[in-house]
Amino acid sequence: MVPQKNGNRSEHGDGEGAGRGRRRRGAAAGAVLALAGVLTACGGGGGSSLPPAGGAPGAGKPSALTQAQVVAAAPVAPASAITAGSWMAKVRKRGTLLVGGTDSSAMFSQRNPVSGQLEGFDAGLSQMLAKYVTGKPSTKLSLVTVDTRETMLQNGTVDAVFATYTITPQRARKIAFAGPYYESGDAILVKAGNSTITEPADLNGRTVATEGNSTAALDLRKFAPKAKTLLFQEDGECVAAVKQGRADAYVLDQGILLGDVANDPALKVVGQPFTQEPYGIGLPKGDPEAKAFVNAWLKTIYADGEWARLWKATIGTKVAGSPPAPPTIGSADGS
Amino acid sequence: MREVVAHIGYLAGGLGTTLELSLLGFAGAVVLGTLLTVMRVGPVLPLRVVGTLYVEVFRNVPLLAFLVLFVFGLPDAGITYSLFTSEAVCLALYFAAYVCEAVRAGINAVPVGQAEAARAIGMTFGQSLALVILPQAFRTMVQPLANIFIGVVLSSSLGAAVGVSELIGRTQWLDLQYDEPVPTFLLATAGYVLVTLTVALLAGRLQKRMAVRR
Repeated sequence: MVPQKNGNRSEHGDGEGAGRGRRRRGAAAGAVLALAGVLTACGGGGGSSLPPAGGAPGAGKPSALTQAQVVAAAPVAPASAITAGSWMAKVRKRGTLLVGGTDSSAMFSQRNPVSGQLEGFDAGLSQMLAKYVTGKPSTKLSLVTVDTRETMLQNGTVDAVFATYTITPQRARKIAFAGPYYESGDAILVKAGNSTITEPADLNGRTVATEGNSTAALDLRKFAPKAKTLLFQEDGECVAAVKQGRADAYVLDQGILLGDVANDPALKVVGQPFTQEPYGIGLPKGDPEAKAFVNAWLKTIYADGEWARLWKATIGTKVAGSPPAPPTIGSADGS
Repeated sequence: MREVVAHIGYLAGGLGTTLELSLLGFAGAVVLGTLLTVMRVGPVLPLRVVGTLYVEVFRNVPLLAFLVLFVFGLPDAGITYSLFTSEAVCLALYFAAYVCEAVRAGINAVPVGQAEAARAIGMTFGQSLALVILPQAFRTMVQPLANIFIGVVLSSSLGAAVGVSELIGRTQWLDLQYDEPVPTFLLATAGYVLVTLTVALLAGRLQKRMAVRR
């Protein structure tokens, strides 16, 4: 979305003899790699002390399954459900579900740098859907942003979007939403010592960080119209902004904030969620069968407990308590 | 679509921020870049080494990486600038490396006889650089510097990633509100093209007027 990097070098290398430039580049590459290392350490450091490989920190809950185990036990669709020429038939023929999502959202879809696997509730669900359609949990992730999600579904780059994607009537005009499969709501994260912010109205006149690709930025405008909003790309950056005093608070879905706080005792989440964010699975509008099919799959995994087990294996590793009841299919305006 | 057009004034404000950032960043880059060139062409070895290192380091790091380090790394060291200042400073520091190379090329374009003549009449290194070489060098550098300015304008869009509300930042905000990425980004693109074409046009004219006839 942001035009970057590529242009600079070639355009401004005017003054330099090509040969000399080439010779030096090798040495410089090392420096870049080193810097890149520092960067990932800094940028991610705020929010993403990464969850342990395989999911289960073990100690407290010995009976919890890992995400991979939950996916392995997930159901496969009966052949009769795959009607010829449908969205499902196309995916089954390819053998892989093309998923639009992210790899940097703690608890929902984050790449484990050690195993290379995507971990989280959204990632697990997409693997389960892939298994339901094709028989194996084979997914291929394309990174999407708020700017590209609808377009990539419309032009067929991806089959489905799993990206803490809030169902809204406006979005539903362009694409179809299956679900909702999860209910969240915006909450407020502040420094642990902060006692002046306890509810959305307290945010008026303060600087509030949020992710640029979330509906939280819009909710903020509604609930605290006098707040100054800072939009960052990632969760880790918003957390860093609060810790460094650049922002007084960080507003986003409660589940994600709880994940941040679980990693960091210097922060706390205050109050109860003040909005409702029903997450849906984005599907192309042109295939009405796809929505019915995915909704039927959701009902299946709600009923047989797979949904709750996945919650336990992902969100449940950071949030205390037992899994909530899954939301009712079709209950959100736009689903 | 209609909602987006209704917010054209909001986008224009973003374009204003983009221009402010670009002008500040470019001005800083020209000053620092020229200093770096003086270091690199000067007779003092340690200064030459520092100048060279600076250019090589900054040219080989993506600006976004540098920006994120500056915005989120420095506060950990106890230094916090506003986001706008951070980005302007980053653009200046980063593009100084490119300006340095452009100025150096410009100096190389000045015939060696000019420097020899300056020395022959007893000018010091500083005098010959300031009175003879740089004035001639800058005249050959109108186009390269204009290219760098365009680079600064386009790169300022990276500020959106660190919370600066410039043109792309505001475009994303509108997009968030109305889910209309195509018209919003088309408008933003038009804004950038407007600025860059104007710069290219002005640079062309300026170059014709400034050219040293030899």
